[in-house]
Amino acid sequence: MTPDVEWKKVSAELLILSLVEARPRHGYEISKLIEQRSNGAVRFYVASLYPLLYRLEKRGWLQGRWVEKSGQRRRRYYRLTSEGQKVLASQRRGWQAFVEAVNRITEAEHA
Amino acid sequence: MPDWREEIAGRLSSLKLDSSRENEIVEELSQHLEDRYNELVSGGARDEDARSAVLMELDYENLLAKGLLRTVSKMRPEPPLPGGGEHNSFASVWQDLRYALRQFQRNPGFALMAIITLALGIGASTAIFSVIDNVLLEPFPYKDAGQIVHPRVHGASQGPDEGRQGFSPDELLALTGQNHTFDSMIGTADDPVLYKHGAGVEWLSGADMTPGSFEFFGMPALYGRVLQPADYKSGAPPVFVLRFKTWKAHFNGDPSVLNKIFVLNGTARTLVGIMPPRFGWYDADVWIPRTPHPGISIGFAGLPQLWFILGRPKPGVSIAQASSDLTGILSRLAKLRPQDYPNRFQVFVIQIGNSGAGHFESALYTVLVAVALLLLIGCVNVANLMLARATSREKEFALRAVLGAGQGRLVRLLLVESLVLAIGGAALGVLIAWGGLKLIVAMIPPDSIPAESVIGLNAPVMAFTLALAILTPLFFGLAPALQAARRDLNNPLRDGGRGVVGGFRTARLRDAAVVIEVAVSLTLLIGAGLLMHSFLALRDVSLGLQPDHVFKTMLLLPPDRYKTAQQVSTFFRPVLARVKAIPGVVDAAESSSVPPNNSQDSKIEVSGKSPNEQWHAQLQNVDETYFRLLRIPFETGRGFTEDEVNDARKVAVVNRRFVSTYLSGEDPIGRQVKIAELKNVADSLREPSFEIVGVVDDVSNQGAPGYGRGGLEAPIEPQIWVPYTVSGSGERALIVRTSGTPMALMDEVQHVVWATDPGVALMYPDALDHMIGQRWYAGPRFALLLMIIFGCVGLILVTVGIYSVLAYTTAQKTHEIGIRMALGAERAIVLRLVILGGLRLVLAGVAVGLCASLLLGRAVESELWPGVKPYDPLTLASTVSLLLATGALACWIPARRAARVDPMVALRYE
Repeated sequence: MTPDVEWKKVSAELLILSLVEARPRHGYEISKLIEQRSNGAVRFYVASLYPLLYRLEKRGWLQGRWVEKSGQRRRRYYRLTSEGQKVLASQRRGWQAFVEAVNRITEAEHA
Repeated sequence: MPDWREEIAGRLSSLKLDSSRENEIVEELSQHLEDRYNELVSGGARDEDARSAVLMELDYENLLAKGLLRTVSKMRPEPPLPGGGEHNSFASVWQDLRYALRQFQRNPGFALMAIITLALGIGASTAIFSVIDNVLLEPFPYKDAGQIVHPRVHGASQGPDEGRQGFSPDELLALTGQNHTFDSMIGTADDPVLYKHGAGVEWLSGADMTPGSFEFFGMPALYGRVLQPADYKSGAPPVFVLRFKTWKAHFNGDPSVLNKIFVLNGTARTLVGIMPPRFGWYDADVWIPRTPHPGISIGFAGLPQLWFILGRPKPGVSIAQASSDLTGILSRLAKLRPQDYPNRFQVFVIQIGNSGAGHFESALYTVLVAVALLLLIGCVNVANLMLARATSREKEFALRAVLGAGQGRLVRLLLVESLVLAIGGAALGVLIAWGGLKLIVAMIPPDSIPAESVIGLNAPVMAFTLALAILTPLFFGLAPALQAARRDLNNPLRDGGRGVVGGFRTARLRDAAVVIEVAVSLTLLIGAGLLMHSFLALRDVSLGLQPDHVFKTMLLLPPDRYKTAQQVSTFFRPVLARVKAIPGVVDAAESSSVPPNNSQDSKIEVSGKSPNEQWHAQLQNVDETYFRLLRIPFETGRGFTEDEVNDARKVAVVNRRFVSTYLSGEDPIGRQVKIAELKNVADSLREPSFEIVGVVDDVSNQGAPGYGRGGLEAPIEPQIWVPYTVSGSGERALIVRTSGTPMALMDEVQHVVWATDPGVALMYPDALDHMIGQRWYAGPRFALLLMIIFGCVGLILVTVGIYSVLAYTTAQKTHEIGIRMALGAERAIVLRLVILGGLRLVLAGVAVGLCASLLLGRAVESELWPGVKPYDPLTLASTVSLLLATGALACWIPARRAARVDPMVALRYE
């Protein structure tokens, strides 16, 4: 796998894991939040979002559950598991270190 | 609004997801699309544009299918085991099934080969199992047949199968009335029936039945009724019941014979019932009610009537309890008539059917082992074919694994393929069994199975076949399936398929399969060889007489008119004279029995020797022509003269065994022998002492194999012959030597008999050599023929097995062979390389097979002729050579093909 693919993949996982950290969310909500918070810069289409959700679920980082609320159709909510929390923490650290490193490199050129 | 569910489902269909998972994904994604669509529309987009935008997102770079293929298809659970409860497992097995069928369509040669191989094994097993089921396991159609037993008086010094099964009326009444352990007990006695027919009379096999007999059997009549308590009351109108087979043969199955009156043994009896086809108790044609009365009753041919007893023990009563109950009753009777009982006797209680098939039983089990081995060879053969095929399907399996099939899934697919083959094999096998059974039924020796047995493919047999079809795939399919699933599935996708063929492990498995096949086949062939050797030994046994060109028939004289010796000889003198006058007749004789059948046994005393309770001899009544006619040579002394026979003088001829047993080293001529049995018969002799005038060579008198001892391997017993004119009692036979075909005489002999007395019937007319062939040789020949057939089929399967493995490995090595030849290897070297590779396996198989045969030898020893040992070197050497020759042939064909390889073609070969 090229480094490019690697960091894209890690960042996508990081985005999703952090979005469900506070509370469980369903797929559409996750995709909307990503779009809104990035002001449309990052978009996850249905074609890429759900395979990723299922993969994270399979790894045991997320847990999906059908939830029925009165007067609504049932929806599948994804919750961060304890293992997912550890992964999220480590990915965050890694990401921050990465961003800092990138910043240092790029800022040095400007300085 | 568009139907999102349908759009998504259409895109998932190619992934072959498990259906419950697919439903969840469709639901979740369709909600997402719907939300997104609503969002776009509420934001001002036209329906059309919103729809195509959503679909574009769905199809974006085909990420959905790719992503799901990697995650969801691997997320699927392993295929559940049968009964695992997953609701869709049936559907996916169905999918495997269809796939298997498509595979076989693509490669029909393989499927056909496998199915035929399995069909031979399954068919043979089915056929033999159905014989065993119908003959040994469930031969009797009677109520609770498994509970029915019969008693036998057994002396401490007698062999396990010996003893007396006939009981006097006193014994029958005592056993029936005094036992505490039986629910019910009945008796049956022989009662040959003369029945007026055409110009004379015919003989039917009749059986007298005590009250309650038909209630005991619990089978209703097919037409009319069975015998009832009222038929046994004194003064009741005489009746009888007819057997189905006899009704068909004698009356063409005409129902109007019911309630008609027939004259049987001079009594007018009404036919009240016709029994269903499977009712054949005592192998009788007619069943007659008779109440036993105390005292000695004289039955057929002036001999005491004896009853065969059947009983059904009370629930919870053990065989040992029943046995000691009956022993106690007869011990009391033995105090009154000690001469009727052996020393220290016991009453054995034996399940019916256990003795019914007698000797035949062990032959059948031997053959069952043989077909099981055959099936094993078939399974190994198919396993081998599948291993070879699995190697060529490596890429397919690898692709499946990459697409998400787990090992369990692959194993299941291959097992389903095996199951399809096995079911195909079973279906064809049933056809083979159906045909084979017809052959077997025609070959079964007469009188070796109960008359009630109907051999056919019934429900238990079909269940057995089905079980084989389900179990055999585990034998031949599991090893190749596990092997295929275990392999490193990534390699085949990378390389071009060249290199070490199928991996060393597969090659080892295939080699092992050939070794097993050869070993099993050798075991089978050695079994067949030993039986053949035994049979040849049996045929070599001298009967002591010349049986060809001899016609024989028993004669049934009406008992009321033939009571005295005078009456009997008045009948026979003119009959013998007239038969001798028939053109082509060389000689005619009268005898009480026909060897090698045994004759009536009698206790004897020899003058000058102290009386011994154990001394006995077989007693046969003959005329002066008998020894000459059967070409029985005299050792010393002479035969009877015509005058001695006519005057009923008390002279006797004995056999060599008699002399060596009772008069060893002494001159037998002139000795007096007292024959106790002649005192027991209807017209008893006051002084049954006979002077020995001659000694003949031993003549077989052991009786037919089957019940107890008997058969030519048993020792010949002491025997004594006296003029037939000394007693009016005893059975009567007519023996005729002819220059032509014996059976051609039948009608003329019948004519002569009826012309002399129309009330006399012919019984068991036959050519003597035919009778001996049927009763003495047919049993061993039956087992031998089956073993030879199965041995040959096994050999063919093994040949095909060795050939296919070598052909396959050689074909895979074509590249290597090409290189060797390009580098200058001689054709002869290539030939040797391949042949030695194959023969190495054959030799290993022979070694294993020899060891197995020696271990198994003890099991077949009881089937063998006494002189033939399980490790008979001649048999071992000839079967090993046969197998080696066949193995070499199977190796040579692929080897020759390899040696003809064009190096250039081989190097291009992939």
